[in-house]
Amino acid sequence: MAVKRGRAAEEDEEISLTPMLDVVFILLIFFIVSTSFVKEPGLTPQRPLAETAAAKARGNILIGVSATDAIWMHKRRVRMDDVRPLVEAAVAESPESSVVVVADRRASTGAVIDVMDRARAAGVANIAVAARQEGQEV
Amino acid sequence: MQHRRRRRAAEDAGINITPLLDIVFILLIFFIVTTSFAKEFGVDMNRPSNAPVKERERAEVIAVRIAFDGSIFVEDRAVDLRAVRANIETGLARKPQASVVVVAHRDADAGLMVRVVDQARVAGASNVSLAAAR
Repeated sequence: MAVKRGRAAEEDEEISLTPMLDVVFILLIFFIVSTSFVKEPGLTPQRPLAETAAAKARGNILIGVSATDAIWMHKRRVRMDDVRPLVEAAVAESPESSVVVVADRRASTGAVIDVMDRARAAGVANIAVAARQEGQEV
Repeated sequence: MQHRRRRRAAEDAGINITPLLDIVFILLIFFIVTTSFAKEFGVDMNRPSNAPVKERERAEVIAVRIAFDGSIFVEDRAVDLRAVRANIETGLARKPQASVVVVAHRDADAGLMVRVVDQARVAGASNVSLAAAR
């Protein structure tokens, strides 16, 4: 009885970590599940408007094409010849991923099609061009 | 003195969770920092694989051409961007099995190309593919 009372006194004096640990674990699981490691291209072009634009759930290889046809991947400018090996490396990391070409609306169609062809040659079947819906923020 | 000894006894009884908590916190901070919730919106694009200039039967295809200056031709008829959808709908009514091929000049704006493909989708074309013209 004396022992029990001693332990109770001790619990009063220290904060119980168990509820905090529960909360932290739940947060941890949430962030693990929701993380997708999107590779930002490193530029924010003006996306074209499209009515059929749909959210790309697994679009995590982003290739940017600027208004002057410069190609951006992984926050740096790359040459057209580097697109294929970079996409191949990204696909090797996560085979489920799909490519989204984030092209400025003033970029030339030729550059966008070349990027898409190289992504396809790298083995990605699912390729989309980024767009925004009516009323969506640029 | 007696008090301290009792505390040590209590610690021995339960497993010490402090190192676990440290690791969990570090993992939590790592995932919070690396998570990005930005969902990319996009329009799917089909490229006719390997044979970009493969001639299909003309009856099955509604050709939409985008010239270098941005003018649009549906079946060789110049149309405005706003009329693309209606024109493709008319074409699909005549040839319900037709697929739409957007042949864009390489120097045309990518935004215009995306909008034409989008309009073809809105018109109800199930198969829209994209080709480049020089």
